[in-house]
Amino acid sequence: MRGTGGALVSIPAAEGHRSAPSRRRRMTQWAFGSAELVVALVIILFVLVGATQSAQFFDGLTWINILRNTVFVAIAGCFTTIVLVNGGLDLSIGSVFMAGAVGGAAVADAGYGNLLAFLAGIGIGAAVGLLNGLLINYAQMPAIIVTLGTLFAVRALAVTLTQGQPIGPLPNDFAAIGQSDFLGLPLLVYYALIIVVVAYLLLHRTMFGWNVRAIGGNRVAARSMGIRVNRVATSVYVLSGVSAALAGVLMASRLGAGDPTLGNGFELQVIAAAIIGGTSIYGAIGTVPGTVLGALLLSVLTTGLILLKVDPGLQNFAVGVVIIVAAGMDRARKARMFRTSTNVARERQGKKASDKDANR
Amino acid sequence: MNTSAVTPVERGLTPRSTGTYPVLELRDASKSFGHVVALNQVNLSVHAGEVLAVVGDNGAGKSTLVKVISGVHRPDMGELLVHGSRISPGHPTEARAQGISTVFQDLALVETLDVAANMFLGRQISRWGVFANRRRMIAEAEKTLRTYQGNVPSVRVAVGELSGGQRQSVAIARAIRENNPIVLMDEPTAALGVQETARVGSIINSLRAEGKAVVIVSHDLGFVFEHCDRIQVMRLGRSSATRDVRDTTREGVIGLITGAVPGDDTRDHRPRSGS
Ligand SMILES: Nc1ncnc2c1ncn2[C@@H]1O[C@H](COP(=O)(O)OP(=O)(O)O)[C@@H](O)[C@H]1O
Ligand SMILES: [Mg+2]
Repeated sequence: MRGTGGALVSIPAAEGHRSAPSRRRRMTQWAFGSAELVVALVIILFVLVGATQSAQFFDGLTWINILRNTVFVAIAGCFTTIVLVNGGLDLSIGSVFMAGAVGGAAVADAGYGNLLAFLAGIGIGAAVGLLNGLLINYAQMPAIIVTLGTLFAVRALAVTLTQGQPIGPLPNDFAAIGQSDFLGLPLLVYYALIIVVVAYLLLHRTMFGWNVRAIGGNRVAARSMGIRVNRVATSVYVLSGVSAALAGVLMASRLGAGDPTLGNGFELQVIAAAIIGGTSIYGAIGTVPGTVLGALLLSVLTTGLILLKVDPGLQNFAVGVVIIVAAGMDRARKARMFRTSTNVARERQGKKASDKDANR
Repeated sequence: MNTSAVTPVERGLTPRSTGTYPVLELRDASKSFGHVVALNQVNLSVHAGEVLAVVGDNGAGKSTLVKVISGVHRPDMGELLVHGSRISPGHPTEARAQGISTVFQDLALVETLDVAANMFLGRQISRWGVFANRRRMIAEAEKTLRTYQGNVPSVRVAVGELSGGQRQSVAIARAIRENNPIVLMDEPTAALGVQETARVGSIINSLRAEGKAVVIVSHDLGFVFEHCDRIQVMRLGRSSATRDVRDTTREGVIGLITGAVPGDDTRDHRPRSGS
């Protein structure tokens, strides 16, 4: 994401078109326009400053821990980014994450094997996602309300079915999936990498991804021009449910148990990661790499503040500040994007310049 | 008026100069939004090489008419014929597949996407069936805009950065690019200056020369009399009259639009005749 319009049109489109004013202006536009760059710099800065206080910042084990904690938010976050870019919102992923963990654990615990355990977890995620997508797009109910409803309902169902008790300990071969290392890194990191790459290709390279972005930018126009808006916008929720549930099954494997108390507030962490990474909650704008960096920043921050012996109660304060700063930068970035006469005029009238509320 | 002896339906079906059946024909189309009857048994027909103007006050149902033909709205009643065979587009893709290209009044552009992406909205060029072939779409979009002279700085600029006139150029260029036999334009000169309006006029002339059936919605009667062959007046959801430009005057059309001159469609004053 670089430059004025580049930030709007996703990575593949971004390189060429800068209308080339001065070199310096382009550089500043790039720096401010790129949420990824800013987040990466913040991470580096935090680590450098932290290292002056605690040597553990340069410890390999610390970083393995940070990466392992990033994995779950990153997996679900990539697909939350796709939902947000599409102009939607999925709050249910916290419960779907837990339902995936519990469902997968139940199947593994019953001795049906790893494959079926994963398929069961993913199936639960797909079913909840499909329900969300159908209610939002075909029954035309607000996404925030539908997914808030499934957030409550799915958790209640899972807690009732498990009677609130964790399922486990799970078979060793199932636990090995989430607990083993390869070349010094947890296998979890490799899974996450694969899923992130898949999400990247989907959003940034496929026709589907461009349709998602078009719908998030102007749903009415997308439909007029023949994009199957309801179909695309529904499948986005299915993908979101599947990714959250898959993260849940991996969590069950890592913990060796499926715990129905898992994932409280997970959805907020995931959405926070996306927003920190430059995704707009108004749709159309956002990248997968940005969200991955956002997830990494959250993880570095939580681990780092522990190392710095900051009062744990204040950790979420720091997270809150980061989210608000990120949202403020999103706003500033968008104000830069549409410096056209119509938008300037609209701004003068006190209307928001490029928000897509009208189409959501 | 001069054609009052003929019912509107018969007039709509009468072959014009070419002596063939109409390329596009809408019969008795009705469409309501809740209590609002936006279209009330409207007929329309256009022949190859003919430019039909649709005029009328705001809210007369012109855009609804365009959207029914282009598959955005499904009519509550009535039928749509293309090249004489009945189609019922339930989606814009189906109408386009039948050879209908549309410039919508709201332009149907995504401000957050660049010109190239907008040019291929809903009709991307693929690589291996799933990936977006951006390189080809950018090249094609550049070619199209060069031919069309859309005055657009670059196809990589987000549409949100363009002026109203530039946006309109992109939307028109997109519709022309498809080279379909039927072209609908809903107020294509609304945001344009004198020079740009003249260019749209010459585009319409060349569409006629290529033998396309063209429908233009416009408020600009000067433009309509200069570039169109026939004028259909819409009033309160009805098609109140259709006139050949050679048989009418600007004042006559204004009278029909405002209702000062009664139209030919008097069905609300008498029982519906079997049409
Ligand atoms: N999607 C819609 N929902 C509800 N009412 C609509 C919709 N589209 C058009 N209308 C109504 O239908 C009537 C005709 O509108 P329209 O076709 O846009 O008129 P025109 O293009 O001639 O100005 C108006 O009263 C308008 O308010
Ligand atoms: Mg209109």
